[in-house]
Amino acid sequence: MEAAVNNQLVSIEKPEIVAPPDWQPVIIGILCNWCSYAGSDLTGTSRIQYPPNIRIIRVPCSSRVDPWFLIKSLQTTADGVLVSGCHPGDCHYISGNYYARRRFLVTKKLLHFTGFHENRIQFSWVSAAEGPKFAKVVAKVTEDIKKLGPLHLYKKENFEK
Amino acid sequence: MDYTNQIREIAARLFSENKIDVFVGYRMTGFDENQVPVLIRDPKEVPRLVFNDKSVFNLTNYLKHEHTRGKRVGLVVKGCDSRSLQLLLTESQVKRDRLYVVGIACEGVVDDAGQKYQNCQECVFPDAVVFDEMLGTPKGNGQYQVNADIRELASKDLVERRAYFEEVFENCIRCNACRHSCPMCYCAKCCIDQESSTLYNGANTTSAAFHALMTWSLHLAGRCVDCRNCEKACPSHLPLHLLHKWNEQVIYENFQEHLAGVHEGDRGAFYKYSLQDPDDFIM
Repeated sequence: MEAAVNNQLVSIEKPEIVAPPDWQPVIIGILCNWCSYAGSDLTGTSRIQYPPNIRIIRVPCSSRVDPWFLIKSLQTTADGVLVSGCHPGDCHYISGNYYARRRFLVTKKLLHFTGFHENRIQFSWVSAAEGPKFAKVVAKVTEDIKKLGPLHLYKKENFEK
Repeated sequence: MDYTNQIREIAARLFSENKIDVFVGYRMTGFDENQVPVLIRDPKEVPRLVFNDKSVFNLTNYLKHEHTRGKRVGLVVKGCDSRSLQLLLTESQVKRDRLYVVGIACEGVVDDAGQKYQNCQECVFPDAVVFDEMLGTPKGNGQYQVNADIRELASKDLVERRAYFEEVFENCIRCNACRHSCPMCYCAKCCIDQESSTLYNGANTTSAAFHALMTWSLHLAGRCVDCRNCEKACPSHLPLHLLHKWNEQVIYENFQEHLAGVHEGDRGAFYKYSLQDPDDFIM
């Protein structure tokens, strides 16, 4: 599904917002230190190309990711958020990603319920050996969010004058 | 449902046996049919206590009050209130041996128009789950059902839901009455008041209201007992139950969790995990 009116890309949540022709999405990537961050490092050292739209933040574990981070990202600059952690069973802290998984589901569903497209918030499991997978994940997330258009919901700068 | 006489008798007995320092109950406002909470510290004031269909507020909120902290407290709880009390006990916020709990087998409370509140119509646990003494006849548990407002709103499309919630957050005046009236919000310093979070500076914006209410509802996910103190306290009459009931439904359906505060020692969905949790939304 592409949010387009008269061949112009519009925001899927607010069809009255038209994207500028040179618009590129900003994606905040929150990666766990032990798997996904090392995986993204491997992508770079293997010279695999992936879209430059992602801005990476390193956190100790995917369960460090407070739903607050996602809300704050979406409220400031981001058009989408990607959170990535270790595969289930591989967590450096034994069970962190199991706790995180519950929180992600509830956060994603709540944001979707209050009017964000569900593809704005995405999650993935990427291990330290999966460099090509990380490139694929970033490409897919960027592709998804390019279709949704810019995010103009509850943006901080719209209200602070 | 009128237990005024029984509650007065119990309170008088507890004071005479020197079992409590404070009794938390309801009194008439004095100018209309509604009731407000009252802290009785003097046995002479016991006749002010009342309890009937208009006793709407959740009194466990007063366990964080300066006059009840560290004291021996007598307390009246309905079904939903007792669940929040169960959670406060589980989270070590109050000590059970300092409490004397008068449980009510609740038949639902009514609003100004005489209509039962929505959460009372849908109530799953009308009987108190924590009590020293029970008033009324227990009816047993009801069947969990999806909230009617949630069903209606979830059937709308994305743009309509976005517009609906944008209006909700626009009308919020950031008075934080929802937080102060919530029995599960007991942090001495709330994260949404942190000065370092620049998002909250300037406070009264739609953006800040969105952030505050979303953060608040996610902190209460799996812990909200649906007493709707927040909605009764909200001066803008925001439909705050939508956020909580939605989270409750997601947790109930996806993790097969019980409702909050039903079992002793159960801290809520975010404090545990299962290997069978849904994984299909993760790449």
